[in-house]
Amino acid sequence: MSAQHPLWQNLFRPREDRISEVTDMWMATPLFDKISTRECRDLVKTMHPRHYKAGETVFSSGDIGASIVLIRSGAIEIKAADKLLAELSAGDFFGEVALIVDEPRTADAITTEESELIFFLRSDLEEWVKRSPRSGAQFMLNIASVLAARLRHTNILLSLQNN
Amino acid sequence: MLQTLIKHPLSRTLFVFSLICTLITLLAILLAPLLVPIVISFALYAVLEPTSEIFERHGLSRNTSSLSVLLILVAIAALGVSLLLPQLSSQLVALQTQLPVVWQTITSLANDFSQHLVTSLGFDIDTIGLGEHFFSEANDWGKTALIEGSNLLINLSVVLMLVPIFTFFLIRDFRNFRNHLLDKLPNSSFEMGWLIYYRVAHQLQEYIRGIMIQSGIMSVITSLGFYIIGLDSPFLLGLIAGILNLIPYVGPLMAMVLPVLLALSHVPVDLWLVGAAIGVILVAQVIDNLFVIPSVIANAVNLHPLVVIVGIIIAGNLFGFIGMVLAIPVISTANIIYCGLYQGIKTRYDLSLQNTG
Repeated sequence: MSAQHPLWQNLFRPREDRISEVTDMWMATPLFDKISTRECRDLVKTMHPRHYKAGETVFSSGDIGASIVLIRSGAIEIKAADKLLAELSAGDFFGEVALIVDEPRTADAITTEESELIFFLRSDLEEWVKRSPRSGAQFMLNIASVLAARLRHTNILLSLQNN
Repeated sequence: MLQTLIKHPLSRTLFVFSLICTLITLLAILLAPLLVPIVISFALYAVLEPTSEIFERHGLSRNTSSLSVLLILVAIAALGVSLLLPQLSSQLVALQTQLPVVWQTITSLANDFSQHLVTSLGFDIDTIGLGEHFFSEANDWGKTALIEGSNLLINLSVVLMLVPIFTFFLIRDFRNFRNHLLDKLPNSSFEMGWLIYYRVAHQLQEYIRGIMIQSGIMSVITSLGFYIIGLDSPFLLGLIAGILNLIPYVGPLMAMVLPVLLALSHVPVDLWLVGAAIGVILVAQVIDNLFVIPSVIANAVNLHPLVVIVGIIIAGNLFGFIGMVLAIPVISTANIIYCGLYQGIKTRYDLSLQNTG
């Protein structure tokens, strides 16, 4: 009897093709710099894929945030006070602040087309850091770099607006 | 008016919270025969999961690490039973033979007290009638205890068989099962659901680990104390005191009863031993409150003492000893779920008000 028979396989096991594709997507981001593909792949197995219809709100400003989100397919608009901040597509990620601090979201994220989003929760990150402290520390450094880059970008935008 | 009331975050929170409580109660009723092994397995899972993580960190697969943890658990349990069981059973036999002496001493003490009342105050109490009443009550209690004891042995063997199996599967599959279940939440409440789950799981894990360490420390301290003061069956009494310490506030008082009764059984009554037995429990409580609780279970539950005491009494009345042990984690979990739901629902409500305004 084959182990892959639908009756006998582990129903909770994530699909391999999706794991490989999502791993490649995360590895292409600066968040997984200097972290092995094998570690990233193990982490992807704990992540949560979710499907959204076009025009659906992923989160609103003020919502409790608990995860960073990777766009596997589809497109997202990031807005604050009805002002468009960014248009994101497959391979982009957003909401990384919620991975570090337990504070409300500061912008709205709305899908502009049918999308599949991969959620990486803070609780999963904390479990991973406990399991692999070295890679976890590297991930934290990477996320700090990303946040610093975004802060620098915002500062430049603000100074341009003021001038 | 009615629509405003229905849309209000408080009424919505109460509705969702009641729904969750009903579902959990139904599940508990359905799983009632397996509830004890499930609770013990979850407690062991909370304690053993970090060990499994260490094995995984060293390159073992989830299957192998779960199995290794289980084998270690069985080995420790087997070693503990083989080392402690002969000692404990001999102490249990000694305790059994001493119990009639305890009753006799109590009766003679009551007689002396009654005579003292008659001579000094002229006040008569029917101690013989009272004694007979107590003995008949004790006899009934003994018969019930024998029947319950044999049932307990059968249940214990079922628990001993099921706990290792449940614990193994919990360590191996619980994370995947939990993910599968929580992924069923709608998109709008997915993050909120995870956040509430994480807070509950974190708090429960901390509480279970803390209370198990606390119980172990209390068993060691009281056993040593009873041994030093020369009380009979010190290790059995220490073990009972440690287990009773699982019940906050009420447990330590219950733990005093048996050592004091045993100290009273000495003829003539040794008041120093009675005082020393109470002293051991009190010293253990001071150490517990000053050192163990702040370092081991600090912040694990953030409940008002009155809520804790009332909760323990109600749960004890409804579900007995297991209810008393589970009262605190259950109340604490309900508290986190309610607060998390209210926070999430209120944020959504405020946002909708802002958007319409």
